[in-house]
Amino acid sequence: MSTTTPPSIESFRADARAWLAANVAPRPRRTEIRWGAGSDRVSLFRDTSAEEERAQLEAVRAWQRKKFDAGFGAISWPAEYGGAGMAPEYEVVFRQVEAEFVTPMIVEALSISVNLEARTILHLGTPEQKQRWIRSLRRGDELCCQLFSEPGAGSDLGSIALRAVRDGDEWLIDGQKVWTSGAQFADIGYLVARTDPHAARQRAFTAFLVPMHADGVTVRPLRQMTGGAAFNEVFFDNVRISDSARLGEVGTGWAAMMTTLAYERSGAAEGLGMAGDELVDRLVRTAAHNGRTEDPVVRQRFAEFYGRSRMRSWLADKVDAQVRSTGIPGAEGSLLKLAYTRELQAAGDLAGSLIGPAMVADTGAWGTYAWSAFVSGVPGLRLGGGTDEIQKNTVAERVLGLPREPR
Amino acid sequence: MNPDAAERTSVAQQLRAVVRGFLTARVPSAEARRFLDPGQRYDATVWSTMADQLGLPSLAIAEEYGGAGAGWREVAVVAEEMGRALLPSAYFASVVLAAGAIAAAKDDAMAHELLPRLASGRATATLAALDDDGRWDHATFALTATDAADGYRLSGTKTFVFDGRSADVVVVAARTELGASLFVVDGASPGLTRTPLPTLDPTRPQARLEFTDVSGRLLGVEGQAEPALARTFDLALLAAAADALGGADRCLQMAVDYAKERVAFGRPIGGFQAIKHNLVDLYLEVEFARVAVEQAAQAADSAQFAEFSMLASLAFAQCAQTYALVATENIHIHGGIGFTWEHDAQLFFRRAKSTQVLFGDTGFHHERVAAYLLGRTDSVH
Repeated sequence: MSTTTPPSIESFRADARAWLAANVAPRPRRTEIRWGAGSDRVSLFRDTSAEEERAQLEAVRAWQRKKFDAGFGAISWPAEYGGAGMAPEYEVVFRQVEAEFVTPMIVEALSISVNLEARTILHLGTPEQKQRWIRSLRRGDELCCQLFSEPGAGSDLGSIALRAVRDGDEWLIDGQKVWTSGAQFADIGYLVARTDPHAARQRAFTAFLVPMHADGVTVRPLRQMTGGAAFNEVFFDNVRISDSARLGEVGTGWAAMMTTLAYERSGAAEGLGMAGDELVDRLVRTAAHNGRTEDPVVRQRFAEFYGRSRMRSWLADKVDAQVRSTGIPGAEGSLLKLAYTRELQAAGDLAGSLIGPAMVADTGAWGTYAWSAFVSGVPGLRLGGGTDEIQKNTVAERVLGLPREPR
Repeated sequence: MNPDAAERTSVAQQLRAVVRGFLTARVPSAEARRFLDPGQRYDATVWSTMADQLGLPSLAIAEEYGGAGAGWREVAVVAEEMGRALLPSAYFASVVLAAGAIAAAKDDAMAHELLPRLASGRATATLAALDDDGRWDHATFALTATDAADGYRLSGTKTFVFDGRSADVVVVAARTELGASLFVVDGASPGLTRTPLPTLDPTRPQARLEFTDVSGRLLGVEGQAEPALARTFDLALLAAAADALGGADRCLQMAVDYAKERVAFGRPIGGFQAIKHNLVDLYLEVEFARVAVEQAAQAADSAQFAEFSMLASLAFAQCAQTYALVATENIHIHGGIGFTWEHDAQLFFRRAKSTQVLFGDTGFHHERVAAYLLGRTDSVH
């Protein structure tokens, strides 16, 4: 990957496919999937035990390392941080080809670190911070979690109360964060703290890369309504960190956070669990297995669900292409997130119609009770990464140009 | 995107800019309003400019028949822009329905005779396919054609014929002893009575056609018209969907603009979340409609006929529902002024509500999508 002229897309695709074929098994074609074979898991949130999660994380980290060392782990990233320095199109091609193979299941602790946090550091970090973290995060050697939400600051991030007070070349951090994925595995946390109690939100906050193993940091699992613990509460009890851990200038934490959230929304439909074709496919199989494909009401609901799922996925492709050509994630990500959570809501309702009581009482039948975890997860996805209402405000103000909310 | 596809996209973008520029400059909204009075005729200058200078009627007609040999994707762009401008025009009936049916009938001699006239815009045509029940599926073909000594003679009635009174040429779906067949009838034929129907949407005039022993010429193979009619229906869905997309997009823009300027309770109403969030919901539906039309339009020019039928229904269901929704909400967001005769919101509403029922309802289109996804079923047919 050290060539100066990049390979053609097609030869890159062939190289990627050859490398993947040598390292992982091809994904079986849909028609080869048998009803009742393999996992029937359709959960939207992690509901595995801590030990299973750790094992899955290690597997996906090993895979990330392998990709990185072969030149496929940071395709469009700068060469000085171990990237291949190629155009973003190659990244998309690799993702497409990778989907043809069976790879370790994605774990949020890694995907957030590798995608969102490494990208934010690349965008905002000092040369030293980039040198220190980007290669390590992209390779999965170390992990970074994201510390924005607080018990009193969810949709209204302007209410962040966790304080950072300067003390010479150091800062003292005191307060609580919540809904943090992967905090128990993270080496550093990308944290936004209030550094000016009086300033407007655009100047009130500062971002830091806090060592998660520092004295005074306590991570406690937070159990969500699906039963598992996909998140954590993180407590900071006068944690002392160096000023060199500051990300960006003092008072620019709000802008940093908005940048990361835009990245997050533009990838909102990625890696969040199943959607689109996979979901449609599973529901079609469920309908066929339960002998419901001839029911006219089921057929109507299927067609509507299928149409909206396809349109959401076509729109996602279109937005993806726009983001790639402009490099800037826009407010369209918010529109997609709204569409995505509605799709999941509809999928859960449809699954309930097709399966009936066996969706809510475990008879042991494959592909039935597993959906209860899916439907219980949907309310959380409507909240995470910005609620429906916040997404609507974003689209209304930034795309339609309607008046801004009073702040 | 491969280079060919990219080139075609850029051609479509240029076409859109040209058509939008022409319609914005030359067709005021008063043009659609003029049709609120009965007995109006299409603007001849607008039609001849579209035909002679812009070549719009020729787009999807093959070069061997005097067309431009572009494609249905381009027709969809034109239809969307006409929908946005709310243009009353012979375009849909002549270019989509009649030329679509003639091309689909695979009758080389008739195509050579008729399509060059339609491509140049020198003549207009329409398709008379529906009976009084207005159903596109399971047509009963109550109108009959008999093979007499001097050629076929047609007797019976056709309803909901777009431009039925003004078209120079009428393509008629009829039943012979061999089954569903297509015939070409001169609009001025003796025995043909053309009665305009009062319509909710004045911009798309319709008529009832009564045939009393009218002379017709066979188009295609006798008794084998159903595939051509099915293809024509799919094309009609695509064009009607694109028209609805254009109209919905325009209504959304009207509503957004008004919400920014109208002040109530001391604030622009677009600042209230009840209005603001509703507009975002409408915007999502319009964006869904747009990608659905893009996908259906691409499939229209491919050989994947089953996929195109499904996509045409998917796109039509989305666009028709969205147009009706946005046209309705546009009136609501405008408040009282939107409910007046003088405001243009009503003109879009009329076209939207008509579109919703003229080409099969949502349930019918969802069943067509379901048939593709889940297989056909006996319980429905």
